[in-house]
Amino acid sequence: MATGCAWFLVLGSVFLCNLMKILLPSISSFLTKMVQKDAEQESEMRTEIQQMKKEQSSISMMDEFARYARLERKINKTTDKLKTHVQSRTAQQAKMKWVVNIIFYILQAALMVSLIWKYYSDPVTVVPSKWIAPVERLVAFPTGVAGGVGITCWLVVCNKVITLGLSAVS
Amino acid sequence: MEAGEEKTGSMSAAQLRAEKRRRKLLLNSEDRMNRIVGFAQTEPDHSAAALRSAEPHFHLDLDRSEPWSSPSPRPSPFLSEAPGARSHTATPERRGSPLPDFGQPRRASLEGDVGGLRHRAKAERQSDEAGGSPRRGLHQYLSRFDDAMKLRSQLANEKPAQDGGSDVEEFDPFRVFRLVGSVLLAVFVRVFVCKYLSIFAPFLTLELAYMGLSKYFPKVEKKSKTTVLTAALLLSGIPAEVISRSMDTYRRMGDVFSDLCVYFFTFIISHEILTLFGSETP
Repeated sequence: MATGCAWFLVLGSVFLCNLMKILLPSISSFLTKMVQKDAEQESEMRTEIQQMKKEQSSISMMDEFARYARLERKINKTTDKLKTHVQSRTAQQAKMKWVVNIIFYILQAALMVSLIWKYYSDPVTVVPSKWIAPVERLVAFPTGVAGGVGITCWLVVCNKVITLGLSAVS
Repeated sequence: MEAGEEKTGSMSAAQLRAEKRRRKLLLNSEDRMNRIVGFAQTEPDHSAAALRSAEPHFHLDLDRSEPWSSPSPRPSPFLSEAPGARSHTATPERRGSPLPDFGQPRRASLEGDVGGLRHRAKAERQSDEAGGSPRRGLHQYLSRFDDAMKLRSQLANEKPAQDGGSDVEEFDPFRVFRLVGSVLLAVFVRVFVCKYLSIFAPFLTLELAYMGLSKYFPKVEKKSKTTVLTAALLLSGIPAEVISRSMDTYRRMGDVFSDLCVYFFTFIISHEILTLFGSETP
């Protein structure tokens, strides 16, 4: 039974890895939102700038120059503050994305290495060897079992099929 | 009276000395000019003409034989020529250069500017060899540099698109047909055929059939992406035609590999399902 489930275990692992790879951008943006606490401040600043611009457009520059200039200075100051805020947020997002990617690839590599280590000498499934002639040795690599499907061949096949399937769905 | 005669004699002596100095200076004037301004342009180069026009023009008159006895003002070497006022005593290298109107803006593209700048920088560094092959090598190098700049901008434009959808498979009707055919054949082979022969024999027959059927399907023009690999191959001198054919062959091999993976996967899955149902039935 354990041997019977091996092909399913490898298939499930590869499916999970590919699914996580597709969801990585969403995960990193979600984590960024969780980490950033002052996201509201940015929307407040934007609203404030919009209001000030609206007020400025209602003022005549000729008649109330001082007030107009004061508003202009305020708008510029708030805009600079907003730009700095956006820049730091973008940098934080990029950093988070990088960290998430690194962690994912490390986990994926660890999973693949552990699978290969576990099924190095055991085939994931066995079929009559004449069915897969003349490439039975290649398919059975590295187990050497006649008619067996080795972990490497099965990993490659699963990866390709799942990539095709997920790209068709997405 | 005698003072006047002495003065005339000294002037002619001075003039003679000046003439001697001038002749000495005019020796190898061509080499000196090439070192100062750039390399000698023996063929007309219209692409760099706009750049050359802004450079200082040197009014060295190599053909003039009479001494400078007339008190005409010497032209400053750093005066640029007025539009349309091309001097007939200009140096042979400059004679062919068209002068643009100063009222027109310079219409040099980024690549042209860079190419021109590199052109001049390279020319200043290059020694004055009057040979065809060094100049040809220089032109070749500059044309490849221009290609590299264009490819770089192309790669920069395509990078955001590639970042968004990396490894995205394109599914045209023929591709879908192939994959579905592979799945169906795998199930059929598992149920009926595998006891009698290898499973790869029907697969090879299927691929041969696909090769014949491909012409009946609408051909989808696949946009060739400029990747770092294709850019490197282009710059190394391999023709674009060869690269596109190789990429096309590689794409076809990828399609066959995809079919094989889908076929084998379906075969194993159907085998496991049949084994499971076979073991469960009493």
